[in-house]
Amino acid sequence: MIEVILIFPLIACLILFFIKSKKLNDFALISYSIFHLFISITLYLKKINLEISTTKLFGAYFSIDSLNILFLLILSVIFAGVAFYNKSYFKNTDRSDKAHTYYSIAILLFIFSMTGTILSANLALSWVFIEATTLASAYLIYFNKTKHALEAAWKYVFICSIGIALAFVGIILLSIGTGSINSLFFNDLYINAGKIVPFWLKLSFVFILVGFGTKMGLAPVHAWLPDAHSEAPSPVSALLSATLLNSAFLIILRFYKLMELTHLDHFAKILLVSMGLLSLFVTAVFVFNINNYKRMLAYSSIENMGIIAIGIAVGGLGIYAAMLHLLAHSLIKSSFFLTAGNILKQFKIKKISEISGILKQDKPTGWLWIACFVGIAGIPPSPLFLSEFLLLKAMIERDQIPLAIIFAILLTIIIFGIGKSVIKMSFGDVYKHENIVNKLSLGMYIPQIVFITASLILGICVPAFINQIINNAALAVSIT
Amino acid sequence: MVNMLIVLFGLTMLYMAATSRIKAHIKMLSIQGLILFLILFLDEDKTNLINLIFLSIETLLVKTILIPLFLTRILNKNEVFRDNEPHIPNFYSLVIASIMLFAGFMISSLHGQGFENVTALYFGVSISTILISLFLITTRKKILTHVIGYIMMENGIFLLSLSVAKEMPVIVSMGVLLDIFIAVFILGFLINKINTAFDELNICELCNLKDCDCND
Repeated sequence: MIEVILIFPLIACLILFFIKSKKLNDFALISYSIFHLFISITLYLKKINLEISTTKLFGAYFSIDSLNILFLLILSVIFAGVAFYNKSYFKNTDRSDKAHTYYSIAILLFIFSMTGTILSANLALSWVFIEATTLASAYLIYFNKTKHALEAAWKYVFICSIGIALAFVGIILLSIGTGSINSLFFNDLYINAGKIVPFWLKLSFVFILVGFGTKMGLAPVHAWLPDAHSEAPSPVSALLSATLLNSAFLIILRFYKLMELTHLDHFAKILLVSMGLLSLFVTAVFVFNINNYKRMLAYSSIENMGIIAIGIAVGGLGIYAAMLHLLAHSLIKSSFFLTAGNILKQFKIKKISEISGILKQDKPTGWLWIACFVGIAGIPPSPLFLSEFLLLKAMIERDQIPLAIIFAILLTIIIFGIGKSVIKMSFGDVYKHENIVNKLSLGMYIPQIVFITASLILGICVPAFINQIINNAALAVSIT
Repeated sequence: MVNMLIVLFGLTMLYMAATSRIKAHIKMLSIQGLILFLILFLDEDKTNLINLIFLSIETLLVKTILIPLFLTRILNKNEVFRDNEPHIPNFYSLVIASIMLFAGFMISSLHGQGFENVTALYFGVSISTILISLFLITTRKKILTHVIGYIMMENGIFLLSLSVAKEMPVIVSMGVLLDIFIAVFILGFLINKINTAFDELNICELCNLKDCDCND
């Protein structure tokens, strides 16, 4: 029954390809999202009941453990929201049935490959799936078929393919280092960690970090991210930001655990912190003068991935904070991108300087826009406040006070940069535009409201079962 | 014999660096595929038959025939035959590529702890192949050359994976092949689109997305 989570989208794609009807496309997406959520929750409950750390699917190639269940649940929840939004997003557009079908097929394949990445228990297999995410989402980014979309799609496919190819070099270097262990299963690697030659392991970590870091959006290999996020349709941007970056991060995390087991974590931590800080720095520099709100959100994703990387590197409480940050960022950022979709639908423009008075134009969108900002800025009661606070605490506990100071300063700059634009866009009077759409359907508000409410609850008091999931995931990463 | 083939493989990289005719690049890709097949045929132990058959198909069919044919079709359709005015003149890129290849040979003469699992010459040449292809991607201006550089890099990685004494499970190498094949296909599709949307297949055309005000 569980294997269906991977087989369902493939069959659905075939059916959609031959029938090409908009109604069926929407139905397939929504039913898969509900199904996905259902299976994830089942897997989660089953894991609690059986009290075993891994459940194997499809032989040994896919497995569920306490780390990837968090990622799977995030993927399911975000996908469910996006699928509902997607239906309303395409309601009154004049897309042909064919284009809409290809779009839906690409989304199904995209989710399929992300699910595969998250579930796979083999390093090489997760490589295959990560590369598949690039290929599946190429069409999604190109979907608007403008010159800019074309450019973004080209950069996305090319940069990510090169990055992922470098990650494969890392995998080969690792298999040189593993010597007699003829396996790339994470569990085999963990068990035999002592036998791996440190030189090759270090070398391969560098390649893996750069390779999967490209996909995760860490600076300095983030170049594709702002272009792709800003040119893709909003539901796709939300998926890219809230789920794709996470899945790439999961592989880095699993590899990082290997580094810990071989006591090379000091080396790994230096790399993670420097890439994380660089991501924060790049965001702080670029977000200040940016004039495209979707690019601004994309840079904010780079920033948050940087924070998560730093959290892992700080260790201890920092890992818990990073996991909480991951969950909260996915919820808030996806609703931020979806709200950006609402604004784009109404104003038909991406320039910050030409938009003003969203609150007067459309109250719910305006308030959502502000709520999302409060969430992403880490102002209480946002859960990001909690995670960033815990992260700072972890840094100070570990005597990394200079790091804490730089971290806090960069975050402040970024919040100011984003806040300036958000406030400018939300308040004031509406500039004269010719083609402002007045009414949006209800489906374009509900997913964001649900996500924001969920993150609000998370920020006030982390519910016990979520706390347990995050805690288990954090424990699965740290060995001490 | 195998060593000679590997050196030949390295030399094709030098030819790539020296020439600006894209037809010649594609021919070299095809030759590289053939060399990889021969290396595989002469060197690989024939115990795992399925893996051997699969890898032969990959090198002979895909790398030697299908991908070059596909690229030639794109070439003829878009009528870009030369990569004029690279950022670094061909002569200098030849010099730099030679230095990289030499460095690769130097690496392969290293003997240290942990090197017992890898065939040194394979390792050195494949590392220099990867470096040279990255170098060519950064210095050339035509989009098609970039794709060719990417495939060269994949060839280098393939050689690297041959250098390891043990093999990947078939399911994984199948996935890898499928991914690369589709990637090349998608890149080709995008090239055709870029040719219609922009006037030239130059990388300089793809610079409209920026963080400054001139952006949309």
